[in-house]
Amino acid sequence: MSKYFEVRWHGRGGQGTVTGAKSLAEAVQGTGKCVSAFPDYGPERRGAPVRAFNRFSDNRIRIHTPILAPNVVMIVDTTLIGTKSLVEGVGESTIFVVNTEKSAAETKSLLGLTTQTVHTVPANHISYRLFKREIPNSAMMGAFARACPEIISLDALIEESEKIFSHLLAAELVGKNVEAIRCGYNEVQTL
Amino acid sequence: MSKFSAITGNGAIAEAMRQISPDVVAAFPITPSTQIIEDFAKFAADGKVDTELITVESEHSAMSACLGASVAGGRVMTATSANGLALMWEMLYVASGMRQPILVAVVNRALSAPINIHCDHNDSMGARDAGWIQIYAENNQEAYDNMLMAPVITEHADVRLPLMVCLDGFIISHSIETMQLEDDSKVKDFVGEHTAYHALLDTDNPSTWGSLDLHDYYIEHKKGQQVAMENVIPVVEEVSERFYQEFGRKYELFESYCLDDAERVVIAINSVAGELKEVIDEVRDAGEKVGLLKIRLFRPFPYAEIAAALKNCKIVTVLDRSTSMGAYGPLFVEICSALYDADPRPMLYSRTFGLGGRELLLNDIRDLFEESKRYLDEGKIEKRSYFLNVRGG
Amino acid sequence: MSDKYGLKDWQELPLGGVIPEGGNAADYETGTWRTWRPVWLKDGCIHCLTCWVFCPEGAYVLKDGKTPKGKDRKEIREINYYHCKGCGLCAKECPVNKKGKTEAIQFIREEI
Repeated sequence: MSKYFEVRWHGRGGQGTVTGAKSLAEAVQGTGKCVSAFPDYGPERRGAPVRAFNRFSDNRIRIHTPILAPNVVMIVDTTLIGTKSLVEGVGESTIFVVNTEKSAAETKSLLGLTTQTVHTVPANHISYRLFKREIPNSAMMGAFARACPEIISLDALIEESEKIFSHLLAAELVGKNVEAIRCGYNEVQTL
Repeated sequence: MSKFSAITGNGAIAEAMRQISPDVVAAFPITPSTQIIEDFAKFAADGKVDTELITVESEHSAMSACLGASVAGGRVMTATSANGLALMWEMLYVASGMRQPILVAVVNRALSAPINIHCDHNDSMGARDAGWIQIYAENNQEAYDNMLMAPVITEHADVRLPLMVCLDGFIISHSIETMQLEDDSKVKDFVGEHTAYHALLDTDNPSTWGSLDLHDYYIEHKKGQQVAMENVIPVVEEVSERFYQEFGRKYELFESYCLDDAERVVIAINSVAGELKEVIDEVRDAGEKVGLLKIRLFRPFPYAEIAAALKNCKIVTVLDRSTSMGAYGPLFVEICSALYDADPRPMLYSRTFGLGGRELLLNDIRDLFEESKRYLDEGKIEKRSYFLNVRGG
Repeated sequence: MSDKYGLKDWQELPLGGVIPEGGNAADYETGTWRTWRPVWLKDGCIHCLTCWVFCPEGAYVLKDGKTPKGKDRKEIREINYYHCKGCGLCAKECPVNKKGKTEAIQFIREEI
């Protein structure tokens, strides 16, 4: 068991996966933990599979290596299911958070998982409802808080996100992102 | 108040530049240092700095503009990487020869070809003979701290030389990490006002810069440059101590990690030091005396101080993240020079790693310590030098 | 300290090759380069100052004077041979010389 809590994100170029990992890091940082967030830069092409990583710890994080044995796998794009890299290094207790409208049972079997916990969240659906387009990050962060309350609680996530978003977005959009976080948290299905 | 933030290495450098608010920044952005200039351009546009931001058409022009602005009497900075630094080459020598305290954040990246945007140190290592001070950083906190110390070092009356703050491309430049940003006004006080030396814009006291200097005087000017470089060592110690008093983070010429009683030592530069420390803790827990000497100041190179720090060790592994094709890596060569007079002289060998961003994982580092143990037990070095993690062996 | 030729030690030099003063070309004796010598002939000179404009070393020295009609003007006073390097541009460009009837600047070999 690593002394760091490690999260690996899988998405596609242009989807905001790297931004998702960075936003989550900033929010967790706000609660007083040490954090890191970094991408796995390849050729930067829209649509190409991309990975991003987070480490969380109560102590200073010294390492920068890619995460090989994640505690949590965040799948931002369901069409990636079937690619081997999603389950690389996955252990018996690895937690999956998947952006999908499929049931947790179906998702679990599609991923070929057995002992692992799968949380599904219809993050695209939530995003369409609120923003009329596909920006699943905030709902994914909400689902992360549901899956890993020991890293960040829903209340802390909302409080920190409001601070972060208010530097970047208009008040109306800050509110909508907070709503997306809440919906993501509430609409999680777990198996 | 100083505050903890989660920002990227590039963001940290840009913050330092905002706080220092130099007179001129001239830049031609290049991956992976681009975000530094993007962030800084925003600060300039938002009126958060008093800086004249000059966007130019190449890195050669960027350094030329920096040089002109510095000679005119300003405090001047830029940022670049890899091929961008290579295009500055000619002007690097002019800047140091003209003793202009220009600062460059070098976000280390491999040099083409084949084209590659990821980290290694061939760019700044290639510039090691250009007469610039080089300070390296393990993480974004160190990059930021070095940037704050840089103007104080370069503008010191005994120094007046340009300086590169080097950090690892992508690994640090694009990684968000928890770090401490200092208060604006405390930084301003620490850095102080820029004092120009025979500024061209001081029209009451006219001067000429860039005149011809032949065999009658050139070597005297070079001697002056060499002595100024030697002066950097006590100045860095003094400025680092003042930084420690002010901000509480301690820096020395190099970092010693578990070094005092170490029998087996690894010497490395930049971000890989983090991974090394992690593994050293494990190996120490197993009762083995291993340690790290992390290079901070590479130019000037603190030969005597490093030799003294290594006097108790038995075997030294030098990790170079750059190559001098057909020769040993630049760091290994310096360590050999430092240890030539050591008695007893430790066993010494070189490993090259990480070119073009190739990862060195914790298991690879565990293997390195296994290897040094075997060499020490057998009393002989099987391979003096090779590339780690390369297919085909 | 300086050496037997009067050249300075490295410690005495201003940094970076800066020349920390203006107008110090006046200290530089280019007169030793001269193998041919321009000789200014007061009687032929019309004070058009063409020689003064063209002289690369600023060797032509001016003084205040008056035109035949009494207006203020600058006039040539002399050639400063400490700076004149004997290039001959003044004699070549002199409009009086060009007309060919008289001479205002003679250009002659230096005698030993």
